[in-house]
Amino acid sequence: MQLPFGPYPVGNSLYPLALDLFIPTVFFFFLGAAYRIGRYLITYQKPFIPYPTSSVRGNISGGEKVKELFNTFANSSRVGIKRKPITTIVGLLMHIDLILIIFLLAQHMIFWSYYIPPYRVLFPLAIPESSASGELAAFYWSQPFTPTPYPFVHDVWGPLTIILNGQYLTYLLILLLGIYLAHKFIVVAERLSIRAGDWWFFVLLYIDVILGFLATSHIPNNIVWYDNILGAHILVAEIIIATLPFTRGFHMFEFYFGKIREWYYMIYRRWMK
Amino acid sequence: MVEAVTTQINMDALKRAIDEVFYTQINSTILYYLQSCVNCKACEAACPFSATSLEYSPVNKAEIARQLYRPRFTVWGKVFGRALGGAKKYLKLDEVETMVDYAWHCTECSSCMFVCPMGIDSGALVDLLKQVAFKAGLTPEIYAKINELEVSGKYLEIDAFKQAWQGIISKMKEAIGGDVPLDKKGSEVLLYVSLYEVLTYPDVIVKTAKILSKLKKDWTFMSQPLGIRPPIGLVVGDKEGAEKVMKRVLDYFREISSKYVVMTSGGYDYTALRYTMHETFKVKPTYEVVHITEILAKWYEEGQFQIKPVDEVITWHDPCNLAKKGGVIEAPRVLLKALSKNFKELPNHGINALCCSGGGGTCGLNSDFIDNIAKMAGFAVSEKDKKFLENTATSLINAGKKKADEINKVKAKEVLTGCPVCITSISYIANYYHVNSNVRHIIDLLEDKIVVKS
Repeated sequence: MQLPFGPYPVGNSLYPLALDLFIPTVFFFFLGAAYRIGRYLITYQKPFIPYPTSSVRGNISGGEKVKELFNTFANSSRVGIKRKPITTIVGLLMHIDLILIIFLLAQHMIFWSYYIPPYRVLFPLAIPESSASGELAAFYWSQPFTPTPYPFVHDVWGPLTIILNGQYLTYLLILLLGIYLAHKFIVVAERLSIRAGDWWFFVLLYIDVILGFLATSHIPNNIVWYDNILGAHILVAEIIIATLPFTRGFHMFEFYFGKIREWYYMIYRRWMK
Repeated sequence: MVEAVTTQINMDALKRAIDEVFYTQINSTILYYLQSCVNCKACEAACPFSATSLEYSPVNKAEIARQLYRPRFTVWGKVFGRALGGAKKYLKLDEVETMVDYAWHCTECSSCMFVCPMGIDSGALVDLLKQVAFKAGLTPEIYAKINELEVSGKYLEIDAFKQAWQGIISKMKEAIGGDVPLDKKGSEVLLYVSLYEVLTYPDVIVKTAKILSKLKKDWTFMSQPLGIRPPIGLVVGDKEGAEKVMKRVLDYFREISSKYVVMTSGGYDYTALRYTMHETFKVKPTYEVVHITEILAKWYEEGQFQIKPVDEVITWHDPCNLAKKGGVIEAPRVLLKALSKNFKELPNHGINALCCSGGGGTCGLNSDFIDNIAKMAGFAVSEKDKKFLENTATSLINAGKKKADEINKVKAKEVLTGCPVCITSISYIANYYHVNSNVRHIIDLLEDKIVVKS
């Protein structure tokens, strides 16, 4: 059933359903995260440290240890760029792109700040939907077509919005995720390890990015379709969020834990002068 | 290769072994390694065996451990795993053969961990497979026999070993011009070596003794070896056996109670005897287990001796256990920079050094050594094992190509290192690829360049 709203028929679409399911999604996420973290806590055994953090020649200084913490995080990318440049660069760009879109795209920021009000402090960093204007601009490309005297939207990014805008970042993300997905097919062909979770996460993410792009660009240009596509976009994102603790997606939290753990045991505890 | 290892598989024993290992070895670290991998395959770039086939990349090898973990510890694995793949309660015959093959294509060098964005040490997961293989009787017979010889202590009854040990004591005596202090309690330095080093590089041991004498150190040596290369069990998957051997070593170290236990080897025995042994028995040592380069760098920095430099281009291969797992990166460089103004780093060094591809039992118990030990111990190497050993050499050749290339790049006359297995493996690689460099232990070059202030 569709309800009239001004000149538009809106109502029984996926959009309100998706919004209604957001809080349960967050609940399921925390439940899953608690399960995952609980497993670590249950199996945790306090490590026995036989030596103090000094050795025959003394250990590296505190400053160097902090520097090495940075290196611990950077080493993977540094070595990857040297030894596997294409996949590493694609991976890095894809992560940066995804983080920018999820957390700084203006529309997403409004969504996050609705549920987490302090998020508003980041509003000045919001990335606009297009470089030219806040209007729908699916095919405006980079040239400013707005009939204003300003070449770019008013934001802190200035001319950088030529690249830092929702549309271009999404085009890039579709391309980069596409490369990632294609790589998965190569892995299948080479009969190397591939997991159901890889497909689950990447395919859902890919679908979600495309749905988000279609919704924002009003393709097709119809309010009912808009509501459904935007609703589907949020619903798919909710599936990803709810299942995050059981998929590779949880690495967005565990990454820090893993690297700090590596640094603590291999550098802080063992690295000698 | 796999045919050579597993002709007869007792599937019941294998099932028991899988259950035993996977139900007892999961702690939070292993759990993290098992469930946090995002399958990004960054580790491919670090593993020496990826050069042979990507099948041997760390993530691919560790996947067998993950397949065995999922039906036991994950809801997904229990419910859908078998239907959708990715979960195996037990392994089929061909999968067992693959598991054994993978287990012997990992040096447990930890290179993958430093390159993994998540900090996962896939070697620790491959080690679970090695433990399964050992418990199920799938370890190459010759490895199992050598391990048994060490665990049981029967190596001490073998005349050829006794002679080798007495031989090294005699050579040291001759070199230092006096008696070798044996089992002297409370001395400053206990020079610790294994039978493996005595058989691999006796000269290095003799030269180390000369250095200690030259520096007038209060040192002592062992009247008999504490093992063949203790604890071999750690690299062949015999954890219980390794514990027995480590207990023997620990008791001796505590009895001698020196200030330093100095090792010439920076292989798995370095991390095992410095860290694993004390962690296993929860003992805080009153002594410090150090590599020879650590203690010499300290004494050099304290001004106890000077080094006469050479003109040649020298380089350093970081042994994985010493550098990556032990954090000993700077100490050898203190000595190397003093030893030659033409010290050049290999393009990949420190925590990112390319593994020699020979440790962790892959070629760590290399074929020449195996032949020697077998002859000395009086047991024959079976055809199966010969085939297996030949195959490890092929893997070593493939894996070592990058190492040979980077040695060529720096045009080093001397490739110095601090681990007997690295010396053996890199020498083999250098010889195969006609690299014009001399591969040897740092002590080999350093000994007669040490000048003690009068």
